[in-house]
Amino acid sequence: MHTHPIDRVIYAKDSSISSGDPEIVVLPETTAEVAAVMRIATAEGMPVVARGAGTGLAGGAVPPPGSMLVVLTRMNEIVEVDEIGQSAWVGPGLINLDLSAALEDRGLHFAPDPASQQSSTIGGNVGTNAGGPHCLAEGSTIAHILGVEIVTANGDVMVLGGAAPDLPGYDLRGLIVGSEGTLGIVTRVLVRLTENPPDDVTMLISFVDIADAARAVSGIISSGLVPAALEMMDGPMIEAVENFVHAGLPVGSGAVLLAEVVGHPNGIATEAELIREIAGSNNASEIRTASDTDERALLWKGRKSAFGAVAQAAPDYYLNDTVVPRTRFVEVLNEIYAIADRYDLRLLNVFHAGDGNFHPLVSYDASESGMTDKVVAASHEMVQAAISAGGTLSGEHGIGIEKHHLMPLVFSADDLDAQARVREAFDPSDLLNPGKVLPEGSRCFDRPTT
Amino acid sequence: MTTLRSVTRELFERMRDESVDVDAEFVVAPSSLDETAAVLGAAAAAAIPVAFYGGGTHQGYGGASQADLIVTSTRLNRIIDWQPDDLTVTVEAGVPIAELESEIAARRQTAVLPETAHGATIGGVIAAGLSGYRRLRYGPTRDRVLQVQIATGYGKVVSGGSPVVKSSTGYGLPRLFTGSLGSLGMIGTVTLKLWSQPLATATVEIDHAAAALRETYRPLAALETSDGSFLYLAGAESQVTSQSYSLGGTPRPGLIWPGPIMNPIRIELRVPAPFVRAAIEQAKRLGAARWIAEHGVGRVEAGLDSVDEATLVVARTWAESVDGALVVTADADIGLDPWGTPPASIEIQQRIKNAFDPAGICNRGIMPGDM
Repeated sequence: MHTHPIDRVIYAKDSSISSGDPEIVVLPETTAEVAAVMRIATAEGMPVVARGAGTGLAGGAVPPPGSMLVVLTRMNEIVEVDEIGQSAWVGPGLINLDLSAALEDRGLHFAPDPASQQSSTIGGNVGTNAGGPHCLAEGSTIAHILGVEIVTANGDVMVLGGAAPDLPGYDLRGLIVGSEGTLGIVTRVLVRLTENPPDDVTMLISFVDIADAARAVSGIISSGLVPAALEMMDGPMIEAVENFVHAGLPVGSGAVLLAEVVGHPNGIATEAELIREIAGSNNASEIRTASDTDERALLWKGRKSAFGAVAQAAPDYYLNDTVVPRTRFVEVLNEIYAIADRYDLRLLNVFHAGDGNFHPLVSYDASESGMTDKVVAASHEMVQAAISAGGTLSGEHGIGIEKHHLMPLVFSADDLDAQARVREAFDPSDLLNPGKVLPEGSRCFDRPTT
Repeated sequence: MTTLRSVTRELFERMRDESVDVDAEFVVAPSSLDETAAVLGAAAAAAIPVAFYGGGTHQGYGGASQADLIVTSTRLNRIIDWQPDDLTVTVEAGVPIAELESEIAARRQTAVLPETAHGATIGGVIAAGLSGYRRLRYGPTRDRVLQVQIATGYGKVVSGGSPVVKSSTGYGLPRLFTGSLGSLGMIGTVTLKLWSQPLATATVEIDHAAAALRETYRPLAALETSDGSFLYLAGAESQVTSQSYSLGGTPRPGLIWPGPIMNPIRIELRVPAPFVRAAIEQAKRLGAARWIAEHGVGRVEAGLDSVDEATLVVARTWAESVDGALVVTADADIGLDPWGTPPASIEIQQRIKNAFDPAGICNRGIMPGDM
């Protein structure tokens, strides 16, 4: 248990722009310890916030004043691997990439691969329903969580879901994933493992005009192909990344697509050829195919270093996470550029293009007066543009504390009330990560009835 | 209450559904979600127990529920919005799955719905949480339910999820509603994620499904049945040919699925995948006339002509001992317990039931724990 002011400061923030002030920080090592601190917190009426590595981008793990922060990084063991059933029980504090690395020689991996995978934890991935480039073909974290052990708001321990399919009762496992620590504290996770593909082809495709790149994405998706990943960066991002990692990216291009197909060697040869054809017919200026694993790793390093590159270029950045229908991609992209122009902001873009998941990123200096407000206002307009095109608020980062006020843009009062009913069923006293995900007053009877 | 009931009767008369042959005081077919919500609101106020009816293929699944009012999805029968280039489709609950699959097959797409649930509707499949055999490759149906609109037991229209292929926006209500068997309200509209159909497919008869599955990179399905074992391959033509060749079996082009099990008593053993062989032995011990086992998934469906309840209890005890379940999906009205031991989370489950159906009118008793 830590109560020293320095510890409280260390844990006051995650990777979003918000910060809090925990009263107590605890680092439990077992489920029993989590249950014990939860019972104490409940008895004291103290809010409880779960935290993994603190890589969250929406402020989901920001502790409110007077709260207890439960840091789960010490619960990082791989408890049991079932190679035949392709699943494993792991601690919530286990780092995403460490799991796949440990399974390498068994030919298995954990498919969700958020950009933060070198530091983010499985528990955090569960909390935000994290995504990543390879979720295009494999689905987000939710599709890879078979079961969870949770400590409930009153300190009970129970397993939801399991390795067997369609267990009787409501799918509470499916509610826990993406609930950002508001329904229970996840103390063990049963993950589904995915077979490593026998072969892969990774291509870097350059375009002079980003609209051509976006059309190529639509062409690939509507051709019937589902590549393992289909990522895009725009011109400003290419330049920032190349200055940072020197991956040989085509500086000066309007956009690049990183396309990967995986599977049986005969199958992916056909698929890669089809992608090259579609890219060619959409005016690709260069198509580079990784010739070995080193080159593949280099291409991916470029993509995965995007946020690091931006952090180097300016002191602060603000990142959005909207999703739009893929058919509206070009239209929303143009609107987002126009908004940045209007606010005179520096905008860089990385996209999980195949999913229609935008990450418009505004790079700025928060010490300039009024700058943060301006950035937040512009970002709000970008979110509006995505939602007006039939999109949603967050594809993989979650809602946390930074987007909950925007929830009424996508949900009616009755929709939010239904979500609040679910929350109340798990946590009647509202002690688990209060103030996150749902805006205040979501539960209809909370509102004044005069 | 009597006055309320007569007012309600008037409301229901206007939506009477003559097309469905079920025995209940009222049978109504609302033509919109708002109407459905109004019906449920009225039923809740008058404490009239309700059941829901789609294609009628899985009536009787879950605990027995007595209803005076049957709400059918007969008039909720439109494919609202198919976006082939987004790989999404929004449909009303009453659309038969065969109709949807045939419509989207025009662009070589599939919703990966159960292959042999002939006559079932979208709403019924989602409510019952049914998945097809291709689940091994594409995941369960619930992974493709992006957005759901339901009329709740308290008479409101609620939308959960997002209409796009990826979302971390709010709680996963579509997952809660999938498999909730109409106990929280009636599903009205769903948005589903689609897949493109593979370029080529083949069905290969093999000797050992489990071994063949281990040797083959991600087939669509690996079935061991009372009529033989089959591996279902998909991909580019050259891939399917080469995979069939390495299996040593004789490939037949296309996907040839086993016919549905129609015996009067049907059970499912749902177990972790490594226990599929053991579950098949349990099914045989129960005297299964037919069975279909999904390797890599963990579901063994069996059809019985009669059942010895003591043997069933033994099989259920075994299934639960390996963290699985034995679910009776059809019992020919002999009153078998459909679910077995309620889940550890039963208290939270009950609070969710009460939150969405405070009057306790929606398919009362259908879920585990008599919810």
